[in-house]
Amino acid sequence: MSEATHTVKSYEEELQSLNKNIIKMGVSCEEALGKAIIAITTRDSENAETVIKNDEKIDKFETLIEQQVVNLIALRQPMAIDLRETVTALKISSDLERIGDLAKNISKRTLLLNENLPKNLVEALVRVSTNVQKQLKSVLDAYLDRSSSMAVNVWENDEQIDELTNLCMQEVIKYLKEHESNLDDGTHLLFVTKNIERIGDHTTNIAEQIYYLVEGEYLEGDRPKGTEPIVTGEK
Amino acid sequence: MKKNGVNMIKISAKNVDVFYGKKQALFNINLEIEENQVTALIGPSGCGKSTFLRCLNRMNDVIDICNVQGEIVINDFNINDKGCDVVRLREKIGMVFQKPNPFPKTLYENISYGPTIHGMAQSKQEMDEIVETSLKKAALWEEVKDRLHEPGTGLSGGQQQRLCIARAISVQPEVILMDEPCSALDPIATAQIEELIDELKKEHTIIIVTHSMAQAARVSQNTGFFHLGELIEHGSTDKIFKNPENNKTQDYITGRFG
Ligand SMILES: Nc1ncnc2c1ncn2[C@@H]1O[C@H](COP(=O)(O)OP(=O)(O)OP(=O)(O)O)[C@@H](O)[C@H]1O
Ligand SMILES: [Mg+2]
Repeated sequence: MSEATHTVKSYEEELQSLNKNIIKMGVSCEEALGKAIIAITTRDSENAETVIKNDEKIDKFETLIEQQVVNLIALRQPMAIDLRETVTALKISSDLERIGDLAKNISKRTLLLNENLPKNLVEALVRVSTNVQKQLKSVLDAYLDRSSSMAVNVWENDEQIDELTNLCMQEVIKYLKEHESNLDDGTHLLFVTKNIERIGDHTTNIAEQIYYLVEGEYLEGDRPKGTEPIVTGEK
Repeated sequence: MKKNGVNMIKISAKNVDVFYGKKQALFNINLEIEENQVTALIGPSGCGKSTFLRCLNRMNDVIDICNVQGEIVINDFNINDKGCDVVRLREKIGMVFQKPNPFPKTLYENISYGPTIHGMAQSKQEMDEIVETSLKKAALWEEVKDRLHEPGTGLSGGQQQRLCIARAISVQPEVILMDEPCSALDPIATAQIEELIDELKKEHTIIIVTHSMAQAARVSQNTGFFHLGELIEHGSTDKIFKNPENNKTQDYITGRFG
């Protein structure tokens, strides 16, 4: 936010409240992702259930932020930095909401897994998810500090996540081959891996929004892309 | 007019300083106004917007203590030159003020006054045509065509303002200066004037002073921000309202001025 404060105090307060809600929502998503990963790697259904239950809280944040944005646009007609604050809050909240959903989906699948996971697979999952968690934390810090350079770092690191996802996918495929009788678990694991990657993509979207928020311009150029995902062929 | 996709410059102010007695009101203003575009001038009260607008048709001449220095070049001609024909200049550069100020005469006479003194009509029929087209362009014709010989002061505020616009365009000016033309109007009349401005820019270059940020954003393609007699920032309206260069501009348009 700009250094000087608004002449109209209530306007200032509304923008600050919007800002705080994004941060709170982001922290809730961080928690959800953290717990979802602990749950799947340690077969801990208590954490998985918490994530599923708490997703409602994240959804409520999205609704609240949307209402705040609509009110700001209708009643304050924000301009310049305020306009960018308002519009990016809306977009960031929708990415965060998706992150919450994906964490919930990971947790639902966790509850459906029948067997313990082999050590290699757990390690591969932890590697990619640790990276994604770091990215999510950094992007929230970038938002808090209004730092476009931190946002660019997050954006560039997405490549690494794509690569780690591919390695993880390879482990899942190996698992599928070795456990032909347990296609259910294998399928869940494919989706879990894909979900983690998509959380990374939403994090990158948020980084782009922060860059726009701070600089007033869009991040130029193609997203850095790692090797093509081998299983789904999705880009 | 566009040349190679770039708008031509209609007016350029070069190193303009304005003084009221010893007090300097404008400081070294350099500003180019694009042809057939709407340029909005914004800034806090007393920053010199009206003073600048009055430089463009030498209306400051009528203020004794006012002294204008620098060049105002319109169509490659410096209007501050001694040889400038001020009457012709004001025919080319029309003006609409904050308060609608129709003459205490009939609607018809309000419009025909300018064309008469500029000798623009050879016959009653030609004058009728000028009155009709001017009122049509000002989107007032339908409302007043049956009462052209009633006094202009009998119209509503919004109608009076459109009458003043019709009066300004009756002499086919190249440039129309508007100083807060909607400040006394309700939202509907304001919307009508804004729609009109959009229409008028096809044939005229328009400069509008406004205190409404939303109005500046809605009607203009370019915006200039004045502060304490200086032009702080000038550029496309889009840029000024989404991502201004200067912090003062940002503070002003976002309502953060101390
Ligand atoms: N006739 C005058 N005599 C002396 N000083 C004047 C005169 N007209 C304007 N000024 C001074 O020049 C400065 C600029 O005034 P101007 O009217 O151009 O401001 P403005 O931006 O149009 O303000 P507003 O938004 O209130 O209409 C002010 O300090 C004002 O007091
Ligand atoms: Mg003024």
